[in-house]
Order: sequence, then C-alpha cells, then structure tokens
Amino acid sequence: MEPNTYIPKLASIIHIKEEVGGARPIKTFRAELREKNGFSFKCGQCAMLSVFGKGESMISISSSPLIKDYLQFSILKMGRVTSSLHDMQVGDTIGIRGPYGNGFPIEKWKGKNMIFIGGGIGLAPIWSVLHTALGKREDYGDFMLIYGARTSKDLVFKEELEELRKKMKVHLSVDVDEPDWKEFVGFVPLNVLEIKPSPKNAIAVTCGPPIMIKFVIQNLEALGFKDDQIYTTVENKMKCGIGKCGRCNIGMHYVCKDGPVYSWAELKNLPQEY
Amino acid sequence: MKTLSSYKIFAPIEKDTLWSYEIVENPDQMKLEYPNTVLSPKKIIFPQREVYLEFLASNEDGLEVKEILPDEKPSIIFGVRPCDAKALTLTDKVFGGDFEDLYYWKRRKQTSLVGLSCNTPPSPNCFCLTVDGSPYSKEDLDVLMTDLGDKYFIETLTKNGEQLVNSAKTLFKTPTEKDKKDLLKIQTEAKKKIKRQIANIKKIPPKLKEMFDSPFWDEESLSCIRCGICTYLCPTCHCFDINDEVDSLSPLQGKRVRTWDNCQFPDFTMHSSGHNPRPDKAARLRQRMMHKFQYFVERYKNYQCVGCGRCISQCPVGIDIIEVLDKVRDYGA
Repeated sequence: MEPNTYIPKLASIIHIKEEVGGARPIKTFRAELREKNGFSFKCGQCAMLSVFGKGESMISISSSPLIKDYLQFSILKMGRVTSSLHDMQVGDTIGIRGPYGNGFPIEKWKGKNMIFIGGGIGLAPIWSVLHTALGKREDYGDFMLIYGARTSKDLVFKEELEELRKKMKVHLSVDVDEPDWKEFVGFVPLNVLEIKPSPKNAIAVTCGPPIMIKFVIQNLEALGFKDDQIYTTVENKMKCGIGKCGRCNIGMHYVCKDGPVYSWAELKNLPQEY
Repeated sequence: MKTLSSYKIFAPIEKDTLWSYEIVENPDQMKLEYPNTVLSPKKIIFPQREVYLEFLASNEDGLEVKEILPDEKPSIIFGVRPCDAKALTLTDKVFGGDFEDLYYWKRRKQTSLVGLSCNTPPSPNCFCLTVDGSPYSKEDLDVLMTDLGDKYFIETLTKNGEQLVNSAKTLFKTPTEKDKKDLLKIQTEAKKKIKRQIANIKKIPPKLKEMFDSPFWDEESLSCIRCGICTYLCPTCHCFDINDEVDSLSPLQGKRVRTWDNCQFPDFTMHSSGHNPRPDKAARLRQRMMHKFQYFVERYKNYQCVGCGRCISQCPVGIDIIEVLDKVRDYGA
C-alpha cells in the first residue's frame, strides 16, 4: 500500500492522438510515469489524473496491463479537468494516482467466447480488457466486438478497429444514416439484437452511456444471456478514489473501490441509482 | 512523561455566541455546564478545510509536488460528550480500512479524549440510547468525568488516560464508597432523562431497503431547502470534496485542498456531462437516511448516527430524522 495515496505521481505526456474532432472531441493520451515502479494495474481499473491547478478526474486506463512502457487514457472533453487535458501538449506534466477499483475478472473467463459491446467513449475500458484477453488468445474462445457512436466521426480507435478485423468479428454502427456508411444504422442495443450473439459459453462485457448499458443488458437478456454472463463498468462522480469522500456510492457500494466492474447479477441487486 | 503544557487542549467555549470546541487559551473560557456544541469536535480530527499538498512549477522537473501533513503536537479534547466520542469510532471505520487516510489518522492517533457524562441531556433532541449509545458511554474515551455536584468522579479507561491523570496527580483523591454510589445513582437517572427515541429501530434498516422506490421520499423532502446543515453539523458525516486553489498562474503555484462536502447539494453527484444519479431532493434525502440507517449498517454493522440531535435542532425547516424514521417504520402498515 502507498503511504499516502492522495499524493499523485508525476508523469509526462509522451503521445497525443486526436481520435474525434468537433463539438465532442476525444483524444488519446499516453503518459509515462517519472518513477516507473509501483504502478501495476488490472484491466478495468481506473486512475485519478491531475492537471495541477485545475483538479482531478477519474479516468479508466485504456491500455492493457501487458504494456509496461506507458499508461493510455482516451478522454472525452467534458468538464474542467478533461478540457485542460485537451489543451495539453506532449512533454507536459500531469499527476497520476491509483490504480483504483476492482478490474475485470478475466481469469474467470478462460475458455469462454468473449463479446464486447461498446458505445462512444465507453470503448476505452473495453479496449484494455479486450487487448489483455487477446494477448492470451489461446485461453479464450471466439471474440466479437459490437461498437457504435453517434456518427462515424465519433468512433474512437478507427485505424485500430480496422486492424482488429483481422483478429475478430467487428460490428460497427452509427446512430443516424450517413451517405457512405455500409454497416448498421441505429443504436448499439438494436445492433445487438440484429447480430444476435449466442449466449452459449459466452461472456458479454458492455460499457457506454448509462442509457445504452441499460438497453444492452435488456437485449442480452432477451437473447438468453444469464445475469452472471453480463458484465459492465460503471462511472460516477469521484473525488477520493478510495471509498471515503462519499459521492460515488450505489447503495452500500463505492464504485471507486468496490466497482467499477460489476456483473449484472451483482448490479441488479443494488439500488438503481447510477 | 508528557506535561499538560505539551498538549493543545480543546474544550467547550462560547465563541461568537455559539458553543464549540476551541483551543483553550485561558482556563476561565472553558465551561463544562454547556449545552450541546453546535459544531461537533469532528473538526479537530477532520478539519472543514485542509491543505494536503502544494504544487509549484519548476524549471528542472516541470513541476514539484509537496505533501503537507498535519503537525505532530498532541491534543486533548476535554469535556467531550460520549456521543461525539462514539462518532469518531464511526469515522474511524471510513478513514481506516484498505486505504488508511494519513491526514485523519495523524490527528486521530495523537488526540486524547477526556469525556464528560451527560447528567442531563445537553439537547432536548438527544436520542443516544436508541443508537447503541449512552449518556455515560465509555466508548473510545481515555478518561470519563461525571459531575457529582461538588466534585467530578474520574474513571481512567486507557493507559493514556492514566498518564494524563498522573500528570496532574495532586488534583485527585481516591473515591469513597459514597462517591461510587452517587455515581451509579446519577448514571441511572441520566438515562431516564433522555426523552426522545426511535422505537423498534431494528426494523428500520430492512424497511428502508424495501422503500428505495417509494413516493414517500418525494413527500418527505418537499420542505427541504438543501442548505446542508444536517450533514455539516453531523459528527459522523465524512463526505468531502477535493479542489485545487491557484495562488499564481505564472509560474504555476497552488495547493490541493479538501473540504467538507454535502450529499444534500445537487452537484455532489452530478457528472460533468450533466447526468445526475441523485437528481432531486427526494433522492438526496433518501441518500442521507439510507446511508445512516441502511448502507452503513450493511457495510460496517453500525448505525451511522450517535443520536446527538444536532440535525434536528438546527434544521431551518424542521426536518426531524426521528420523525422521518418513525414514518418509515410505520409506512404502509
């Protein structure tokens, strides 16, 4: 355990990629810790990022723990801290503390067919677990990704998604039709019903806006998925990251510490307040 | 052995017409026949505002971060009420666990608690008996003093308490048999003087769990003006915010501060997207009741309430936690 978990470690931004432009921009940042030891994490865990003078924001780590050289965060420009991050340049200093939260139980999923379902920036935490599982491809069955965004311009990791098609089935969607769009048009939950992934020996992992998660889970259930075959990762406003500041709770659970990853079997038994 | 002068001593003092635990500069300021303090002594261990790190732009590393820890001087909270001392055992559970909160524990571990039994309830809204407390509870105290009229009965409860008493040995005499009888009598009477209670409190946690989606919360929260005084004054409430304060933009210099925060405020849980899991007063009143009498019970096996009655006495619109929970218990029956 860190002696004082509130003190962030300093890190340098070593790479910035503009994923999405326009009114809801997303950038992917890679950061290198000044002192490399002492930050080992599991996929699905989060880190508290600091922009000094602006504050902190809890962001899921989108790189796989298999990558040791840097930590990657894909961030939608939204509030004070994420807007400041979007103004930063390669070489700038940020703070990182953590990792926080429970992470995905991927050891438990060995031998299963993996279905990943993401919406918008919700692909970020999925990206970490997907690549960690792909790193041990032989341990798992079939892989499938169902991913969508408002428009084709809002899809993140576009080039990487094309690369990914060589390794697994990738089904993309946009919410409204566009002239050159060849794949599904409609919300992600509808695409799930369209593709009909089989629940047989499968685990579905979903992340996206709260409303998308809700309907994806509903539709997976309609396809025959059991509650303990469905996993999601929840976001709430957080300040401390360690279950003390009191705001991210869902019932008795602190999402920062007891979550953010829940099976639907676990989450459905908590108050529906997230 | 430490002499008393090596301690910061906090005691009930009337400051700006309010009773509060303040540093004693002159013993005459201190009065033990005080009503319930408006602010609990929680602020001594967990201050309302606390700078915990400073940052400064530097040429070599881009930035320097300096940890600011609380000072090491030991403290005594003198004349602390048993309920307020018990409250610290509850915040201990939150600030302990897998991630120990260094700032809290630095202060907590160097603070001695010299308690004062409540011969008469210090507030008409006291209900400590309901929530596993008592007007002469020894829980977490180093020393307990009970007013026998012309003297105090002193019980030393820990090694630390013994040392404190020994450091001022000349003040104390061995109690007589009559003193011991008087103590028992006063304590028995003290219990009877507490008038308020929540009947059948054990029924409340499971009932709350059933009532999460009940329209009850809409009705009950109508009068709330979301001032948040209930939680600021609560000795067991621990929620906090973390923010950066900038002293200079170029070169960048500033501090990171934590301050008490409040579950009754709309932006407490509001995401930067505008989505809010607790969007209205009903959800926020429910959170306060659920946290204290359901979630906390489930997580830590205690009520997160010590029955001090501050939230009742000070609520500007008369929301009364006892009445609310009475209604919860009887709802739909």
